[in-house]
Amino acid sequence: MKEPQDSHEPGSVSDLHDRLVDRALAETLGGEMPPDLSARILAKGPTTTSERPTAGNSPLVVVRWSLLATAAMISIIATTVYLLSDAGSWKSARVSSKTDRLTKLEQVSGKRKTSRGAVELSRRINDAGGLNSKLSEQAAQQLVESPGPKRTKESLLGNFAVSLPALKEAGEDLDRKRSPSEGELLTVKDGYEPVAFGYRWTDDSTKDTGTKWGFPSSRLQQQNEVRGKFFSTLEADRRNDVLRGINPPIIFDGEHFDSGERRSTIARSAEGTGPGSPGDHYTRIYENPFIEAVGGDAVSTFSIDVDTASYANVRQFLMEMRQLPPPDAVRIEELVNYFRYNYAGLKADDEAPFAAHVEVAGCPWAPEHRLVRIGIKGREIERDHRPPSNLVFLVDVSGSMNEPNKLPLVVDGLRQLTHELGENDRVAIVVYASSEGLALESTRGDNQAAILGALDQLRAGGSTAGGAGIQLAYQIAEDHFVRGGTNRVILCTDGDFNVGVTSTAELERLVAKKAKDTRVFLSVLGFGRGNLNDAMMQTIADRGNGNHHYVDNLREARKVLVEEMTGTLVTIAKDVKIQVEFNPAQVAGYRLIGYENRMLRTEDFNDDTKDAGEIGAGHTVTALYEVIPAGRWVDEPAVDELKYQRTKKSLSDSPTDASGELLTLKMRYKQPEGDVSRKLERPTTDDGRAFAVASADFRFAAAVAEFGLVLRNSAYRGDATFNTAVEIAQSSLGEDARGYRAEFLDLVRRAQELQPDH
Amino acid sequence: MLIYRHQAGVWRYLRFLGAEQTEADDLTQETFLSFTRADFVERDPRQTVGYLRTVARNQLLALRRRQNREVNTVELEAADSVWAAAAGPDGSLSGYLDTLRDCVAELRGRPREAIDLHYRHGAGRDAIAAKFDMKPDGVKSLLRRTRALLRECVERKINSANRRSENRP
Repeated sequence: MKEPQDSHEPGSVSDLHDRLVDRALAETLGGEMPPDLSARILAKGPTTTSERPTAGNSPLVVVRWSLLATAAMISIIATTVYLLSDAGSWKSARVSSKTDRLTKLEQVSGKRKTSRGAVELSRRINDAGGLNSKLSEQAAQQLVESPGPKRTKESLLGNFAVSLPALKEAGEDLDRKRSPSEGELLTVKDGYEPVAFGYRWTDDSTKDTGTKWGFPSSRLQQQNEVRGKFFSTLEADRRNDVLRGINPPIIFDGEHFDSGERRSTIARSAEGTGPGSPGDHYTRIYENPFIEAVGGDAVSTFSIDVDTASYANVRQFLMEMRQLPPPDAVRIEELVNYFRYNYAGLKADDEAPFAAHVEVAGCPWAPEHRLVRIGIKGREIERDHRPPSNLVFLVDVSGSMNEPNKLPLVVDGLRQLTHELGENDRVAIVVYASSEGLALESTRGDNQAAILGALDQLRAGGSTAGGAGIQLAYQIAEDHFVRGGTNRVILCTDGDFNVGVTSTAELERLVAKKAKDTRVFLSVLGFGRGNLNDAMMQTIADRGNGNHHYVDNLREARKVLVEEMTGTLVTIAKDVKIQVEFNPAQVAGYRLIGYENRMLRTEDFNDDTKDAGEIGAGHTVTALYEVIPAGRWVDEPAVDELKYQRTKKSLSDSPTDASGELLTLKMRYKQPEGDVSRKLERPTTDDGRAFAVASADFRFAAAVAEFGLVLRNSAYRGDATFNTAVEIAQSSLGEDARGYRAEFLDLVRRAQELQPDH
Repeated sequence: MLIYRHQAGVWRYLRFLGAEQTEADDLTQETFLSFTRADFVERDPRQTVGYLRTVARNQLLALRRRQNREVNTVELEAADSVWAAAAGPDGSLSGYLDTLRDCVAELRGRPREAIDLHYRHGAGRDAIAAKFDMKPDGVKSLLRRTRALLRECVERKINSANRRSENRP
């Protein structure tokens, strides 16, 4: 294809279009995303641009602005009086700030009240001079306050001491050695705006090193085993992360630092410490152990899980926060299931809603073991043949959602989904905060203007009354129930159900009852960080016959709501259970990788009253078993042999099966509107193939599992390392049309940077 | 909400006009601050998008003047037209980017590999040339031709979507 000679002249239209595609590729493939500058702009702006006057309300706005201006004046005068009265204190090299000196966020005429500590910090840094731009008091307030938008008294993380730069040293390089006992001070690198601080630490006893943001507590500073170097957040992306609360300044206690809990300390800013405490909440994961395949123990039963929330969450930890995730945030099955695998679909005459495949090959992290992959592929439904939908967007608009990566991202994601809807669909919007409300009556999907207009009107404010909101959403969905269609509540929240209804158990019962009685299912989309209640969202999505995803950026929103829309919205089978019976003649022991919170008892498999996971149209579900071949020792937890039963030894000594089968896979499922399950069954043999000749999808799934094992620092990780995970994944990228597998490589490499010894 | 809605579009626009990343950060901030100070009354979102673009462009011009760097204003105007046509009514370029993703997914063979190597893995022309056993200039042409294909694909898809939307009763 020869192009006209003049078409590439700089500045020609053709050249400009080329430049546009170049920029767009840099963003879509290269990850050069626009930063979130909103906090920085709001911090610097004399007013918030979100309050722009419009032609229709100008007079009211003028009055409001007058009130705001008056309030701001009063605030400035009060601040000035304070500063004058306390001027001498700035000259002190060390500033101690106590929790009780940090004022809780208060709204004064729509503006944040600035704490004395923040005023002082701002003033001291700005007085240092030599900076391109000044640190506003609002920004300083964000700096000295603890993480998260819902700042309660408990979230201020105790006392801390702030060591500020020796102001005369501004302009010098920041990375100066610091003696913690002497409290040598920070200096600010010329040309940067110091919006947050951190330090690099070294633990003398373990020789571990790491990076922390924020100021260490005075207790920590006195600990001899921890030495550190202070620095400020200089890179633009980190700075923005800090300001928007994704990577807030961390202030920690020394006791978390020297007791082998480093991994949880790393993620402390995001990990809740228990009920009622601030931070993100995860359910504790107890890894499945190896089980000896003897007698009744030769059977393993679990519910499928198509959720992908953990992968997106881990990605945000690694790529945006540059931290290793807490182990309990790493659900290996969700990492594996984030990716689509090329499993063969159903034949036209198949009655079952999904096809099942089993592949067996060597185990990459334990060469003497075998790895069994069970793959399920749900029936595909073309978008054009998607059944009609009755959707209710249940949107959390409480105060904690007032962050760029929360409500605005919710709105953008739902806008994308709305574009995909048509005349056969209906959408209603229910919001909940201090009280629940109907933001949009159930509206036909082709009335895009009404739906998009209602989404644009959503504003965050107030506390959360999640339970009441859910009840209203179900009521709207029931009122417009579409027989034979998709009836679904899509809950968008950071999971902060802190007002009104009540306990997780009560919500569980509510959504489970609704799913059973009304056949309205629930999808849960998690957003943001700081209050992320992963545990609750996981649970209610499970009970509500739905799926749970974490949305960390617009691309993920598009993946969940547009690219995989039919899978997310259209359930093709519910209560899908898997039971694997291992043949003791071939298998000494086995371990299911992941699915810890999906385990069922053997007898639950045939019990149709027992709830299990749902599978959507076109979904693929993958489960991996690590198998110890017969004749090898299974390292089970030590338990005394039973005195009055046949011993395990006597059972394992006489395996009688001569079929050569490795296992039998059994599956049970119900039709989406049915109550009686059907069973599928297929035996599998092991052809002894090596890992190297396994299918690319098998190898990639193994690489993802290996990554999860290392990330969790699993007791069963064997020879697994980040390095081998990268090598395996690199050799098994396959087609990877949308680049998700390539992105996985980036994640592993980032984890490796953060923990090079793994 | 106005900042949340428009900041990405303004930033992308500035990058498209040639601002470095850090410059785009600062100029986006200045654009919104300047917007706040102005007596602009919002009547129509499209008008707001156009106004923000004008402010951003002027900010970039002012910066270039301070840097004593010459700016071709004719090219700037042409660039603005190209951007306005592609960025969509909300000025964010989001629709264009989404469509581009779909088009990249349809690419096959060496063009796809070259695009991946260059944009996703940051490989330079020399590295790609060595891998493909080509000359660096050949890689340059390959990348440019692939971008042209992608542009055609994006425009075709967007036009087709617009026609469907117009035909909707």
